[in-house]
Amino acid sequence: MRIAGFVRGGRALAPLIAVLVELGIIYGGGASPAAVAYGYSAAALFPVLAWLTKLLLDAEPDVQRRLARLSVGPAREATSGVLAALLLSLAVCAAAMAAPWLFHGIDPNVELGSGIALGVLAHLLAVPPAIAVGALASRAVTGSIRLGVTVLVVAAVLVVVLGLSGSVAPWLVPPVMATARALNDPGVPPADELALLTGWAAVWCAVAFAGYGWLRRARS
Amino acid sequence: MRFEQVWFRYARRADWTLREVDATAEPGSTVVILGRNGAGKSTLLQLAAGVLRPGRGAVRGRPAVVGWVPERFPADQPFTAGDYLRRMAEVRGAPESAVGHWIERLLLTEHADTRLADLSKGTAQKVGLAQALLVPPGLLVLDEPWEGLDSVARTLIPDIVAEVTASGGVVLVSDHRGEITALPGALHWTVADSTLQITAAPPVAPGASPAVPGASPAVPVASSAAPVAEDEVIVEVAVRRSEADRAVVALRASGHRVLGVRG
Repeated sequence: MRIAGFVRGGRALAPLIAVLVELGIIYGGGASPAAVAYGYSAAALFPVLAWLTKLLLDAEPDVQRRLARLSVGPAREATSGVLAALLLSLAVCAAAMAAPWLFHGIDPNVELGSGIALGVLAHLLAVPPAIAVGALASRAVTGSIRLGVTVLVVAAVLVVVLGLSGSVAPWLVPPVMATARALNDPGVPPADELALLTGWAAVWCAVAFAGYGWLRRARS
Repeated sequence: MRFEQVWFRYARRADWTLREVDATAEPGSTVVILGRNGAGKSTLLQLAAGVLRPGRGAVRGRPAVVGWVPERFPADQPFTAGDYLRRMAEVRGAPESAVGHWIERLLLTEHADTRLADLSKGTAQKVGLAQALLVPPGLLVLDEPWEGLDSVARTLIPDIVAEVTASGGVVLVSDHRGEITALPGALHWTVADSTLQITAAPPVAPGASPAVPGASPAVPVASSAAPVAEDEVIVEVAVRRSEADRAVVALRASGHRVLGVRG
């Protein structure tokens, strides 16, 4: 119901245009190895997916959200919103990973198999934190549009700034930039580095979603 | 269902909207919430439904299935009325037949393909009523249900309330237009100065004029126990649904007592 309302209401259009622009920028300049290209694509998609999640969760009027909450219970209502966002985000990621093949954005001669696998991992590491940020910025949590937009923008900026190499507190943000850096290095990153990135993302998401659950419980 | 020392405010530093609310609604009872605009009727109803959580105290014994008809139906959604109700039925686990039943019963058939945003206020209110009834509710919370409804639809509400209470459900309904005479036997809770006063239901005064000038007449359901004076007889009259309001007004204007309207 949420996804149908979101798509029919026309609110999905703006983030989709943003995705297209980003893909054009990333892949417009010629072919690059799969791992490098996908690493950047995942990092660039992060703020768009967070925005998409916020728009999806905000598409429903407040009263309708309360009706849904009464109908299925608070936990299921909150979870269903996150799952709807996950579904949409994965679809966007799949499209973003398929798109470069249309305009020859990926060099098929350099470590193609491992590059694609790393690309899938990079996108999977970016999606849950993006959804968590979007959910925390949604109107159901922030109560006002201005605060919601502020949360979204500040989070997106912090992910980049605190994610730069040499950052003072990189663990405060999900490892979106760290993943892109790891994929930018020639060769396949060592397994323990990938495990660290995955664990980091998992812990960050666990904390963020726990916060979301707590805030949603406290608010209607 | 019980309110146990319920306090509520909308923000941490705001004044309390409701204080020390202590009240019980027994199964099968109807409670009419009275009070001025902004007194806190909607707040009390939303606490009862579980839409709002008390700041202090608790609401206990709430039935599992709650039907809530909000004061303003959220019509800003890209669905038709029928589509919306089918989706809500899916979400609530109600059978498809329930949608058809309520569309027909609430006279929504001709509006089923109309977009929610294009519905009149009264018709949107009926969609709000229908979604609350898709699964038979153990607690039905009606926030100003008469608002915007035409005379025919207004007569349906007492019947629906009676059906819910007959099956052991509780009905809470707010009203500021004096339509409450349509619910004989209801308890009256009055919200004033952030507190709740419980008043016994006054006897329905037959032929009482509507409380708000210009408002449609109150239409009590037929009550067989209505006292009849020795020099009176009861005449049963059938009128067209669309003219029920006018007929009641005309009969009262001629000095007759209208004992009830039934559909």
